[in-house]
Amino acid sequence: MSGTFLYFDEAATTAVDPRVATAMAECLAAPPGNPSATHAAGRAARERVERARAEVATLIGASDPQAIVFTSGATESDNLAVLGAARGAAERGRHVVVPRTEHRAVLDACARLEREGWRVTYVRPDRDGLVAPDAIVAALRPDTTLVATMLVNNEIGVVQDVAAIGRVCRERGILFHVDAAQAAGRVPIDVEAIGADLLALSAHKIHGPAGVGALYVRRSPRPALVPLQFGGGQEGGLRSGTVPVHQVVGMGEAYRLAREALHEEPARLAGLRDALWRRLSTLDGVHLNGHPSQRAPHLLNVSFEGVDGESLLLDLEDVAVASGAACSSATREPSYVLRALGRDDALAQASLRFGMGRFTTTAQVADVAQRVARAVGRLRAVAPARVVPGVSTRPVPTPAGSGPGGGR
Amino acid sequence: MSDPRYSAEVRRLFAATPGAGAPADPAGWCSGEAHEPISGTHVRLHFRVTGATIAEARWEVRGCPHTIAAAALATATLRGQPVESPRLEIATIVTTLAVPPEKLGRLFVIEDAVRAAALHCRAGSA
Repeated sequence: MSGTFLYFDEAATTAVDPRVATAMAECLAAPPGNPSATHAAGRAARERVERARAEVATLIGASDPQAIVFTSGATESDNLAVLGAARGAAERGRHVVVPRTEHRAVLDACARLEREGWRVTYVRPDRDGLVAPDAIVAALRPDTTLVATMLVNNEIGVVQDVAAIGRVCRERGILFHVDAAQAAGRVPIDVEAIGADLLALSAHKIHGPAGVGALYVRRSPRPALVPLQFGGGQEGGLRSGTVPVHQVVGMGEAYRLAREALHEEPARLAGLRDALWRRLSTLDGVHLNGHPSQRAPHLLNVSFEGVDGESLLLDLEDVAVASGAACSSATREPSYVLRALGRDDALAQASLRFGMGRFTTTAQVADVAQRVARAVGRLRAVAPARVVPGVSTRPVPTPAGSGPGGGR
Repeated sequence: MSDPRYSAEVRRLFAATPGAGAPADPAGWCSGEAHEPISGTHVRLHFRVTGATIAEARWEVRGCPHTIAAAALATATLRGQPVESPRLEIATIVTTLAVPPEKLGRLFVIEDAVRAAALHCRAGSA
């Protein structure tokens, strides 16, 4: 525990860009206006909302901004996509296909569908965290109505070949939802090329405000979605409730900035990510989680042999970093994503997810690598010697029943 | 803001790790270990016995901060105890370190390692 505080949890949330904050503050200081109202103040508010909608649409390559439905965030967008699309197509079939490594916003929505009588097939990824399109095809049934796949995995950063999956879905008339919360601004998105019918987006993952997101809903052919909330019929009837103009303006500005930086920022982030991996991989007993090249630029997930994840986090208390350790998750279980990749519990527990963003610097990367190396070294020094493959170790004599595996 | 799950004593012992590491010269020492696969907790204890008494105790732990702190505390309290029947005062450790209930199982791993080490010492002297 030393030095300044380092923020490496950009996959969880990002700092609001000052330009976003300025845009939001200007909006909040403006005269009030409900964008649903027809008077001048309402029209002014609506104009702000539509400008933001156009920015979001542009970043993802949507030709019609009206395909963008503002929500409270990517979780709501995923919920609306999965529950809304499945319920909307219930007469055609009640089977959904998703990879096991999806975000809980999708998996928990699928669990809800199962309680309502749907069948869900959870496709296992390969050891690199990728789901082969063939594996999706193999899971399809005549009554499959929806496939949901994330573009960039939020834990390990792998980039799925969603376009290939989208083609299969299109050929078979199956709705295709893509969770792009981690992808926006980090990898190019062309929603038309992907063939997505639905695509979830977040603002706070790319230096916008929390509390606002969006769901792309293809305009033609438009999927039948059953809304989750009812009221004023805003957002095309799919998301009733007064549109929070300042939040939406913040999202629009964040997406505009992300679009402007899209030619340079991903490459800069990839450079930081690779530099961090180069430094960490000089330690022995270190494992990269996820595909080595088919990955987003802002995420690095690494497991460390011979250390406990919770202790690692305490040793790194001055670093904001996510972990696969049970103690750091709401479910108190090791990362289900890493387990789906075949990582054993010990390695899943002893994993760190480094997220980098617009304000992460080269010096910070060097600093965090040094702190992690120091912490791992310290914890390994107090741990029983690790068994290194190929190296014989002198066993410690232990009476029967009291040795390894004998504990409670 | 520091993590409230860890008491000041856990933090102190976790940072200082008194008594950590295998003995530099294993001659004259006996060892025992225990492992709990679900949490991945692995505890190895080393005793140097003089006569019938534990003269020195050292520990190695792969485990959570509470387990590391508890091992440091436990080995300190084991010094001077009879190797025939060393007692680990779990309740005292829980109170001293403010160990949460869900971590009690980790302390039992230490207790198992104490038994294993003591048994090894006794077997060696028989």
